[in-house]
Amino acid sequence: MSKKRKLMKVYPIEENCISCRYCEVACTMVHSESKDPVKAYKLENLLPRATVEVKEAVSLSLMCRHCKHPFCFDACISGAIMVDENGKVNLDEEKCVGCWNCVLVCPFGAAHPMIREEKRHSFKCDLCGDRGFPACVEACPNRALIYDFER
Amino acid sequence: MRYVIVGNSAAAVGCITGIRKVDPDGEIVVISYEDRCYSKPMIADVLIDIPEEKLLYRDSSFFEENGVETILGHKAVSINRDSKVVALDSNELVPYDKLLIATGGKPFVPPISGSDKKGVFTFTELHSAISFKNYLKENGAEEVVVIGSGFIGLEVAYFLREIGIKVKVVELLDRVLARALDRRGSEIVENMLREKGIDFIFNDTVEEIMGDEKVSSVRLKSGSVLRADAVVVAIGVRPNTELAQTAGIEVNKGISVSDTMETSIPDIFAAGDCIKCTDIVDGQKKPIPLFPLAFEQGFIAGLNMAGKKMEYLGGLVLNSLKFLPVPVLNAGVVEPIDDSCEVFVNDKFEKKGFYRKAIVRDGKLIGFIAIGEIDRTGILTNLIRQKIDVSDVKERLVEPDFGLVDLPQWWREEKLKQDKTAYKDWRAV
Repeated sequence: MSKKRKLMKVYPIEENCISCRYCEVACTMVHSESKDPVKAYKLENLLPRATVEVKEAVSLSLMCRHCKHPFCFDACISGAIMVDENGKVNLDEEKCVGCWNCVLVCPFGAAHPMIREEKRHSFKCDLCGDRGFPACVEACPNRALIYDFER
Repeated sequence: MRYVIVGNSAAAVGCITGIRKVDPDGEIVVISYEDRCYSKPMIADVLIDIPEEKLLYRDSSFFEENGVETILGHKAVSINRDSKVVALDSNELVPYDKLLIATGGKPFVPPISGSDKKGVFTFTELHSAISFKNYLKENGAEEVVVIGSGFIGLEVAYFLREIGIKVKVVELLDRVLARALDRRGSEIVENMLREKGIDFIFNDTVEEIMGDEKVSSVRLKSGSVLRADAVVVAIGVRPNTELAQTAGIEVNKGISVSDTMETSIPDIFAAGDCIKCTDIVDGQKKPIPLFPLAFEQGFIAGLNMAGKKMEYLGGLVLNSLKFLPVPVLNAGVVEPIDDSCEVFVNDKFEKKGFYRKAIVRDGKLIGFIAIGEIDRTGILTNLIRQKIDVSDVKERLVEPDFGLVDLPQWWREEKLKQDKTAYKDWRAV
């Protein structure tokens, strides 16, 4: 059988979410060139990999779940989406050709399209890669996002 | 254990991935008449000179890391079910314990007089795409006729315009993508393509391909004659079942497989465009030749071949027009299938650049179209897959901000909190 996965993911706690969107801002900032929240949105045309949803009294922040069976991986025609030995789902934006299959099959709506003149590609939560700790969790003021071992 | 896979595309790679989840040590052999593992849906990109390495779906390191032996450039011609061997065109015999047939689809070419002339191409193999491109160059082609306005035909037409070639698309039906989209969707796509400079001839078909040795023109049923320096036949693909038939496997417009992807003969499995799979929307068994399904079926076959029993969830239509500036996606059905269906439309294409449509039957979503705004549409695809009741939110299905907060709370509890995201966790509720 396959090895036991050792993966930490970001888990949303909707009861705690106050839809402040700090997670979205932090996400966009750390993934930007300028590392500046305003420039990231206005000049770099970046979008957050975490999505805050609000409906009446319910709100939550949602990002890639790194599914145990990732449909995006099945659907990726370019080989840009790969799963590492711990089960982390990686999307190589350079390799991606923007076929939008991952957008079409992600049950959480966590793979997003970036449709720009110069480059079309999908993007999603990378758990902040080398940063070591997800910026959204750090930015959340109400413990509505936690970084925890896979359940 | 010795696994043999015939084919080297999505289903084959899915199968290798599935086998290795269960069995890290068994021998795996891949047989393919082609020379590399490239991405089939990307071959039209050859026309716009995509670098060849970008076309690779899995490079040699994938096969090395997974301990896969490859026999490339040789065609598997027959299977002996009793002695459990695959015979190659080189007369080599490859023994197997478990076999996957992943021979894909083959282009359908209707009997058109003159279709054997030079300059007539189909578009399902990298080899033919490259030959087509070279033919255009060598013959200084200026005008091309594309027969068929399905996904392949339109993509070829689009890329031909990118390189400055005049294109006429001849379609038997009265609109583009008539089998994939609704009328409004077809209209939006057609307008984008006309802006690109593509001409369309509807309700007509090519009756004769004319020229001496090489094609020079085509004659339509309506009588008109079009100049054609080359012709692309893109009417559709059919399951390639020739190899399966040599073993006496049950085939009826596609290889018949069980829920575990096993054919009618023990130890022989099949996956991808060569099979018939169950369409979860109508329960019918049919070929649904799509990349994501091929991979998933191959993966499930691989698990079962290696001894982990897993049933396939079933397939559904999943389309994406990747080459257009405006994205066009659809899943499931795009028109009501009977009187009990409810149709929801949100057409803001002219003002805001998006079009959404959803079809609901018995309180369940059975299909949608998303043009322009496509973010998060996978949530809708999963509603179709899991047959979740959407009665309370049906008007919201066509809103671009439809999200997980519109889903039942128990679903979020199960998926987000309990992390139930393994394959079996996505069955219908």
